Amino acid sequence: MENTVIKIENLVKRYGDLIALDHFSLAIREGEIFGLLGPNGSGKTTTINCMLSLLAFDKGSIEIFGQKMTPVNYDIKKQIGIIMQDVAVFNELTVYENIDYFCGLYITDKAERKRCVMEAVEFTGLGEFLKFYPKKLSGGLLRRLNIACGIAHKPRLIILDEPTIAVDPQSRNKILEGIQKLNRMGATIVYTSHYMEEVEQICTRVAIMDKGKKIAEGTKDELKRMIKNTETITVEVLGLSEAIRNEIVQLPHVYRTEYDGERLIVFCSGGTHNLIRVLDVFRTHEIRVGRVYSELPTLNDVFLEITGKELRDRKGDSHVLS
Amino acid sequence: MFFHDLKYFILSQLKTKNLIFWLLLFPIALGCFFRIAFGEIYGNLTQTEPIPVAVVEEKDNPVFRSVLESMQGSKDRFLDPVDMDEATALDQLKNNTVEGILYINDKLRLTVAEDGLEETMLKKFVETYTLRETILTDAALMHPEKIEAAAAALSKDCHSVAAVSVTAENTNNFTQYFYNLIAMTALYGSLLGMQICFNNQANLSALGARKSCSPISKAVSLAADLTGAVLLQFLCMAVCVTFLVFVLKIDLGNRLPLVYLAACLGGLTGVSIGFFVGSVGTVGQRVRTGICNAVVLLLCFFSGLMVGNMKALVARFVPWLNEINPAAVISDSIYCLNLYSDYRRFGEKLAAMLLISLLFCILGIIMTRRKQYADI
Amino acid sequence: MQIFKAFFKVLKKSIPSSLIYIIIFLSISLVFAFSGQEDKTVFEQTELIFCIFDQDDSAESRSLVSYIGKQHELVDLEQDEDILLDALYYERVNCILLIKSGYAKQLAEGNTENLFERYAMHAGYADILTEQLLDQYVASVSAYLAEGCLLPEAVQKAETALSVQADVTYADFEEDTEYPTVIFFFFQYLPYILISVLFNTLCPVLLTMNRNDIRFRTDCSGIRPASYLLWNSAGSVLFIIGIWLLFMGVGIFLYGGLYAGKAWIAVLNSFVFTLVSASWAILFSCFSPGENTINLITQVIGLGMSFFCGIFVEQSLLGSGVLAVARFLPAYWYVRINNMLSGNEPFRSENVLVFLLIETAFAVAAGMLALLIGKFRYRRLSAE
Repeated sequence: MENTVIKIENLVKRYGDLIALDHFSLAIREGEIFGLLGPNGSGKTTTINCMLSLLAFDKGSIEIFGQKMTPVNYDIKKQIGIIMQDVAVFNELTVYENIDYFCGLYITDKAERKRCVMEAVEFTGLGEFLKFYPKKLSGGLLRRLNIACGIAHKPRLIILDEPTIAVDPQSRNKILEGIQKLNRMGATIVYTSHYMEEVEQICTRVAIMDKGKKIAEGTKDELKRMIKNTETITVEVLGLSEAIRNEIVQLPHVYRTEYDGERLIVFCSGGTHNLIRVLDVFRTHEIRVGRVYSELPTLNDVFLEITGKELRDRKGDSHVLS
Repeated sequence: MFFHDLKYFILSQLKTKNLIFWLLLFPIALGCFFRIAFGEIYGNLTQTEPIPVAVVEEKDNPVFRSVLESMQGSKDRFLDPVDMDEATALDQLKNNTVEGILYINDKLRLTVAEDGLEETMLKKFVETYTLRETILTDAALMHPEKIEAAAAALSKDCHSVAAVSVTAENTNNFTQYFYNLIAMTALYGSLLGMQICFNNQANLSALGARKSCSPISKAVSLAADLTGAVLLQFLCMAVCVTFLVFVLKIDLGNRLPLVYLAACLGGLTGVSIGFFVGSVGTVGQRVRTGICNAVVLLLCFFSGLMVGNMKALVARFVPWLNEINPAAVISDSIYCLNLYSDYRRFGEKLAAMLLISLLFCILGIIMTRRKQYADI
Repeated sequence: MQIFKAFFKVLKKSIPSSLIYIIIFLSISLVFAFSGQEDKTVFEQTELIFCIFDQDDSAESRSLVSYIGKQHELVDLEQDEDILLDALYYERVNCILLIKSGYAKQLAEGNTENLFERYAMHAGYADILTEQLLDQYVASVSAYLAEGCLLPEAVQKAETALSVQADVTYADFEEDTEYPTVIFFFFQYLPYILISVLFNTLCPVLLTMNRNDIRFRTDCSGIRPASYLLWNSAGSVLFIIGIWLLFMGVGIFLYGGLYAGKAWIAVLNSFVFTLVSASWAILFSCFSPGENTINLITQVIGLGMSFFCGIFVEQSLLGSGVLAVARFLPAYWYVRINNMLSGNEPFRSENVLVFLLIETAFAVAAGMLALLIGKFRYRRLSAE
């Protein structure tokens, strides 16, 4: 493939009897913001760690920038920036010292390094906190520091592993905007998360993982086209009879309804003006309704339809791996 | 990149107030305790005091009585006899107020509660008296005309033994505790050594994971961090020796620069041990720290930090242990400087320290280089 | 109950590192116990270790060497300065004796001065014994020579007379069988062991249970702070008793059966000191020491107190100033009781009681200080 930055073929990784990655393959092109989406324990971080040669894997191959990735391939490592799930900074060094240190592992020239550090500081909005120690920073600022340490050396490939965990909404937005800006400046981004809203917001292409397997891959629109549901209409209505429900099910493009006594959810596949037809039924029978809204399918719907469960499982799934 | 990593390792460790503070304070505090506790011990141990003994007269023995009376009032007397009845004597023997009970009769008897040097000397005293009695009785029977000559020969001060002191240096063997304190401080450099692994290994910390992804080669990174740890430990050792010699006035001999050298090399050994322990296996930080601390304690125990004659016992039963026990090697190196006039032994000990350090560093590097993990 | 369970779950997590300390210190305590002297019921005189170099090599000098060898241990060493220095320093030999050339000739002439050279390092009773032994031998031979005997006959008669042993009996104080030496040494070193084990095992658990974020979260629940403290304390107490029982079990093994008589006082003494160690560990944990530094600080406290209070060095050898300061440490009173039990000090039961109470006071004081400091620090953190 042209301009493939990362090529993973048939990756298998086992932890004892547990298969963390099951013949996982992936190709990420230059200039993409590639999202790796999946619930906790699906194998996202395992994939990242294998990519970075931190973890040994049992089968398969990984190439980055056309070269085989190994622990001593420093040419590749120079071009990668990593922002890990756990904040990886020195508690004993100030914000400035931390960024300077990690940048210094990539850029040896002092003058250039200083410039890069200050740009990273400005980029992440940490200008007022240069002399602070990590213990004194809030969760959001700490995450920004974590990012600054990973991008200061202006890498071609940036890997972010769930960078917005425990981050306030303002910082989260800033982080997402920053990632898009980095992409516009030429970096290829690999972004893992189990927050589909973030992935939907910034990613150009997405792969959905579950139990170590890739279950779907494509642009957001391609993924949504994979599933039956193209529109979900929700109507607040009380005391809806079975007859009215049946009438709604008979409408064109409606394939399923759900009613819990207070809300009616109508699932449509294809077609246009589905909302108008549903509201006509209520008008005809002079049934009073409350709030009405129509939603386009989300990646969660894609995941739900393919796997039968939510991306964020409310019942609590396995947290062995992520 | 080497100097960049070195600079930040030293900076981060210096700012880890806990560790550096206690590595510096530890020998100071313990040194003070030792100094105060041992201040008078050597004098107490090596001075010989008259042995207190109870005297129970069962039958009148004027000859022996005169011997006892001749002792009283003498400055160099070797016994402190006190007359009392048997019940009191037994009570005082039980309470260690007296070391033995002398029963005066036709034949002298001695009762003691335990065997020790004082008791042996009491026995010797009784035997001497009995011996003289035997010889003079023999003389009286066989050659009565020579009895005076025999008595004169017996009571003459023979001065048959000329005492030669083997060394002019400090032979106070409580100084050994200070040598062991220096060794223990050196080995606690292992905490710094482990920190290198915590900062560099992906399975031990997120920081280690991040560094493993960077283009700095493991060799350079480890070399820089090891250098930093060793330099910091050199500082701690220098402070330790300086405090002991100049503040506590402990006599570590008159070849002080070499004492500093030995202490610093000991520090290197400590760091290398910690580096090795930090790089082996898959257990977490806390268990590793526990293992390292326990190993250091055990090594110092066998070097005689707690039981003073432990090294002698080890030398007697398991002599090779003293050659490979880093704590024993470090303390012995300073002892050698103190006691021997030449440098051969000292050189051997330094070489042993260097060898141990090199071995652990190499093993540690082998364990950590090009490492990928089955699980992090 | 949740807190109690959580305490033991945290403890379970730290068992691997705690077990290392427990095993190491158990082993050390056993070595300590056996490093003491064995009990003797028959008097055996102190045997010195000699290394003799016979430059005279005459029948008389060989006879002297043989005579010394009957009472003391003879070892062969290389006549190398370094080896001899080593042997003296480590007390592998007490004395290096040189029988000078011309010994037999001078003795026959009645000249008894400077027949031998004695090389020694540390002055002590061993020197006096050696000089006494040799002077007595030489004087006895001289006496028989003065009687008109020839040298070989004089040597033989002198050795016969010298071989007469003194009538020495060993006083049998019955109570000593209740407190044999091995148990004395076991309990003697126990304070150092207890401090080391409890500081290194209890502190990390308490540090986790008293972590700020965990305390804050617990306070948001329906559990009262006093209840939190109570359950934590209950967990600590159970753990402490477990450690103490473990060491008492080892003591039973050394004792050769269940404790009897005076030994129970030692058991009680050790229990009180365990409480002291535990309360100090709890107080220490209030200052949130780093995990790296727990061991360092433990050694300062443990070793320092052990040397000051007569655990590693007998109290009779310490200076009066040192003992005056040591009275402010609990181990001093612990050792006093142990000395009374072994007979090194006169035994008085009222003193035992007083000393136990003093130790208990240390435990109570440390406990109260821990409560106060813990509360103060927590309030300060809550206010921040």
